[in-house]
Amino acid sequence: MGLIQREIERAGIPTIGISIVRDYTAKVRPPRSVFLKWPFGHPLGEPGNISQQRAVLFETFRALYAIDTPGTIIDLPFRWRRENYSDVKPPGAEDLTPKTAS
Amino acid sequence: MSSLQRLRNRLIARLITRFPHLAKGFIDNYRPWESEGEIPWTAVSKPLRDCRLALVTTAGVHHPDQTPFDMRDSDGDPSWRELTGETLPGAYRITHDYYDHSDAEKDLNIVLPLERLRELVDEKLLGSLNRRHFGFMGHIDGRHIPTLIEKSAREVAGKLCADEVDLVLLTPA
Repeated sequence: MGLIQREIERAGIPTIGISIVRDYTAKVRPPRSVFLKWPFGHPLGEPGNISQQRAVLFETFRALYAIDTPGTIIDLPFRWRRENYSDVKPPGAEDLTPKTAS
Repeated sequence: MSSLQRLRNRLIARLITRFPHLAKGFIDNYRPWESEGEIPWTAVSKPLRDCRLALVTTAGVHHPDQTPFDMRDSDGDPSWRELTGETLPGAYRITHDYYDHSDAEKDLNIVLPLERLRELVDEKLLGSLNRRHFGFMGHIDGRHIPTLIEKSAREVAGKLCADEVDLVLLTPA
């Protein structure tokens, strides 16, 4: 997946990837990643768990704007099936805006 | 690849999805592509609420009327499928023997979060979703890696540029 990500970024579109195998991502070196130590086939979590899926997206978008060094992998703190996502709130607009206006 | 080998792949996929510690042996045994040199980088220039987003997944997702990914080649299938972004039940199928997709079949959002992203558009957190997205199969190896990088990935990148997409989210399996 990281190989595709690198080509899209090279073509001029910012990208972020969700990783579930940290070692592969560290070797393929895509520009921006969040990592979840979750089972294969579940990058957004469990079927029907809407607040969990939202939480992953919120943290992924937060990482998109936070990462300023190419190749960064942010480890998300969510443990598999041991978190309560019911009070997860979206990031504020300041976290979803480029730090330096271009 | 014989149908017996395919059955074996599917059984292994089911086991390592259910018992993730078993996956470690497979992960350690597989030598992924190692990228050298500079990492491509394009700065994000717009706030999320103004971005047009496209999804790219390597979870083997395609529409039922498209040719399924080729599972007989042990090096995988480096081709791609254009996805419409449709969220109707039955709009997608998954062809991928190397992970257990029974959960993804119950709720496609865990690999292709179209409904979740549409909600974020409605909530004005995200600008919009592109009119099309792209499906690949992961598990590409050997001679198909150059095809993936030099042909398929660049074709899709070209289409995303033509669509004036501002941001791409990639999801694996």
